[in-house]
Amino acid sequence: MSDSVNCREASRILSMAYERRLTAAELESLQSHLDQCFMCRNFDSQLKFLHQASEEFRTQG
Amino acid sequence: MPSHAPTQDSRFSEIESHRPYLVRYALAQLRDRQQAEEAVQEALLAALESVGTFAGKSSLRTWLTSILRFKVIDLQRRSMAERSHVEYDEAATSEDDAWQDEIFDATGHWREAPQAWSNPEGALEQRRFWEAFERCLGRLPQARSRVFFKREVLGEDTEAICKDEGITASNCWVILHRSRLALRACLEKSWFGRQSGER
Repeated sequence: MSDSVNCREASRILSMAYERRLTAAELESLQSHLDQCFMCRNFDSQLKFLHQASEEFRTQG
Repeated sequence: MPSHAPTQDSRFSEIESHRPYLVRYALAQLRDRQQAEEAVQEALLAALESVGTFAGKSSLRTWLTSILRFKVIDLQRRSMAERSHVEYDEAATSEDDAWQDEIFDATGHWREAPQAWSNPEGALEQRRFWEAFERCLGRLPQARSRVFFKREVLGEDTEAICKDEGITASNCWVILHRSRLALRACLEKSWFGRQSGER
């Protein structure tokens, strides 16, 4: 895997983090991307929110 | 409804209190309110009949859900013949990544940048947010919505979901990723966009 990833790949890795443990290479390239991309940082926060909202959706009502 | 002894009455209302959750569960899988309510009704009746055998090893909700599951699968089998497996053809080919072209440009950048959502915590407190959430979930194609619901809402293992749905793990991951992208875009438009003004 190359050192730098684009948004498409970074978003895939961010999503994958909810399915399995990320590899060191994935984590590294993800981190270096996030450091310089506010859009993917927003996406990261939104995934966390989706995850939390889904959990609350279950216990609601 | 036959008359119940006091203890059974409280059992009844306890079981009944899970109805909204169960309807949501059934709805996510069946996508038809009438069918969903029918399945829940059958499940609750079956539960009342056999509540004596409920050992309390799992939570009441888990137990009820497992009964409902069978009713849902039964209904799905009946309508499966009509639907065949068309809904997964799209998911199977989605591994070629073409679907991503709507979201990312040729260089892999977002076509529409995800925004910073203001006060997401506050949204969870609002009834209308949940309506928007449910609408967005409902806009996903059925198979994708079901997989997302099982994974994120019910917290099932990916492995169990794959087995149930008859798909591979990597297919499952693509479906989940695609669902998340669609849901975040939908919520940004229908809920969070509204608060931060027109885009």
